[in-house]
Amino acid sequence: MNPDEVLCLEQVEKDFGNFTALAQVNLRVSRGTFVLLLGANGAGKSTLLRLLAGLSKPTRGRVLVAGAEPNYTPAARSAVGLLSHSTLLYDDLSARENLRFTARLYGLAAPEKRIDQALDAAGLGERQHHRVRTFSRGMKQRLALARATLHRPSLLLFDEPYTGLDQRASAALSQQLIQLKERGSTSVLVTHNLEEAVHLADRLVILRRGRVGYDAPWSGGSTAELGSLYEQHLG
Amino acid sequence: MSSTLDRPALGEERGFWGAAMAVLRKDLLAEWHTRERLSTMVFFVLLTLLVFNFSFELGGAALHQIGPGVLWSAFVFASLFGLHHTFAAEQENNCLDALLAAPVSRGAVYLGKMAGNLLFLLVVELLALPFFALFFNLSLEAYLLPLLGVFALGAGCLSAVGTLFAALCSNLRLRELLLPLLLLPMVAPVIISCVGTTAMIFQERNPEEYFPYLRILGVYWVLFSALSLILFDHVVEE
Repeated sequence: MNPDEVLCLEQVEKDFGNFTALAQVNLRVSRGTFVLLLGANGAGKSTLLRLLAGLSKPTRGRVLVAGAEPNYTPAARSAVGLLSHSTLLYDDLSARENLRFTARLYGLAAPEKRIDQALDAAGLGERQHHRVRTFSRGMKQRLALARATLHRPSLLLFDEPYTGLDQRASAALSQQLIQLKERGSTSVLVTHNLEEAVHLADRLVILRRGRVGYDAPWSGGSTAELGSLYEQHLG
Repeated sequence: MSSTLDRPALGEERGFWGAAMAVLRKDLLAEWHTRERLSTMVFFVLLTLLVFNFSFELGGAALHQIGPGVLWSAFVFASLFGLHHTFAAEQENNCLDALLAAPVSRGAVYLGKMAGNLLFLLVVELLALPFFALFFNLSLEAYLLPLLGVFALGAGCLSAVGTLFAALCSNLRLRELLLPLLLLPMVAPVIISCVGTTAMIFQERNPEEYFPYLRILGVYWVLFSALSLILFDHVVEE
């Protein structure tokens, strides 16, 4: 694996019984790249993200994140931050308690200072002691992003992060993702929200029935152009 | 927002015991906020004892005949309530994914969860004991120490196997039905040993007579804790 590469998939296949969710997926992503991963429902996008997060093992092939296999190597999982349509937050804990739990799991040094910074960046400093159950969807997603980035991962995985967000909250989330991109994070974004994604991506991967149907740099363009390209390769 | 460039790609793995403690502390904190699990378990045990109190003459000889069975039936079914809660909070917002994606051993997650179940069950047992003594007109002084030993071993065995099966059933639609169906046959030796030992304690038998039962419980706890530690990773894997 090239030292500049954050993730590498070699001939990855994933079966669920007789159903092949992913077949012969090869992907190499360099540091600082923002990959937009598109595909129809059931194309294998979420399965691919689960493999990258170490939540699932490939049936065949190899998944490497920062040089190690995330499912077998706990330390490799610390290189990954995960944000999904579910918040991955405990509703009965406060915002600070949720982040403190994450800090403990990741063994972070000086956790309280980092938590203060993360809460401020998420605009939740005043609500830090309130239970997450009382938060709006937008606030929950801001906290979820703070949780996903608290340990400063090398690779960020976003699985439909715009789900359930209104226009304003979606724009705010995009703004945060742009800031992360500017700071050099490597990201893989799965979304159907092309309007938001079009400004973020610099590489486009389209999955078609578990296989990579399109993989090319995205040098920017309109939402219509992106939509048209997506339709062409949807199959 | 945190920068992603000021840190090496691979972080350090959290220590096994530190991770288990983190999971335990989180569960205890959530329980402190809601008091859902413990209140349900305590309420169920007290209700069971009350119903038996009205249904039978619980004093005198009944202590030896049905007392241990009443007590352990209440504990086993209360533990099922607790076990259902073990992974409910993890399922709510897919928190289990965040837990399993963290750089910690999955065995540590199991251990933290198991320790939580053990603590909750021990608290329930201790709170139920004075009420049991009240209903059975029992003076506890003579029995207290050996009873606490059996309670600890019984709770340990139930938590060790129960936590694994709670994880196994957490993704199933009929988990409320399947958990007792799968778990109760597995813990039958535990229930038999606990009821037998408790009966002998109430009969004030020589401790040497119930030591074999305690040994069975101890071996069962160690064996199934070790097995569950190994199997937990496979159980939570999709």
